[in-house]
Amino acid sequence: MSGIYNPIIFYPVSVLIILFAFLAIKFKNIFYSLLCAIIVFFLSGLIFYILGSEYNAIIQIAIYGIAVPIILGLAIMFTNLQKNKEIKAENKASVFKHFILLSAGVFILAIFYLTITSLAINPQGFNINESIGNTSTQVINSFSQGIFIQYVWSFELIALILTIIVAGLTIFNQRKDV
Amino acid sequence: MTEITIHHYLYLGLILFIIGILGSILAKHVIKVLISIEFILTGVNINFITFATFCDTTTLGGYIMSLFYVAIGAVELAVALYIFYLMYKKKTSENIDKYGDL
Repeated sequence: MSGIYNPIIFYPVSVLIILFAFLAIKFKNIFYSLLCAIIVFFLSGLIFYILGSEYNAIIQIAIYGIAVPIILGLAIMFTNLQKNKEIKAENKASVFKHFILLSAGVFILAIFYLTITSLAINPQGFNINESIGNTSTQVINSFSQGIFIQYVWSFELIALILTIIVAGLTIFNQRKDV
Repeated sequence: MTEITIHHYLYLGLILFIIGILGSILAKHVIKVLISIEFILTGVNINFITFATFCDTTTLGGYIMSLFYVAIGAVELAVALYIFYLMYKKKTSENIDKYGDL
């Protein structure tokens, strides 16, 4: 049984994703929310890897797990941090959040233990590509066919629209009457 | 314990999507709303990759759509943060209720 069909890998990762996504919304302190969101994005990358898409997993972790939190962290730095400290003091009383964090910690330990033992029992491979025999070259070939041939104009159009939006916002900021 | 099927991954994407919708409706902080929107996109990505893996192992169209969503999501976040920065200069508050006259 490869990782994709393996409940021992899927259930702990899913529970962690749901718990941390819930916590990201529940926390009043925006820094804690951001930290929980980072964990959700990293674990989503793990789900992508289990599903056989290593390329998407790397992009998910690089963009959503690292680049986006840095931008959001910079934005938080510009906002009122004093207010955040007051909210942090209010957060201390919540037992419910501590319970969720404790359960998340138990699940993290369970993931490490169960994944290692599961791979030791089922050494056929961790993701679907290993089990169906897809090589990396075949996956990259399919990707390049899609990006550079099949959907190339869609990508170009999206890039053009987004460039216009960013340039428009810059011009918008230059105007004194706004 | 039963074997994991396509439905399990779809349910995971759905739950993440619902959490994102709830967060974007209920949250007051602008950045928390943006994080919730990213959760929505991640839920959609999980669905795309699940369908590509289970139903289409040759062309991998879902993987490419997922790339689209990641690129668009990252740029959308940058644009939204830029608008937030412009509004924050005026309002000096991150409460989304005060941004009604956007």
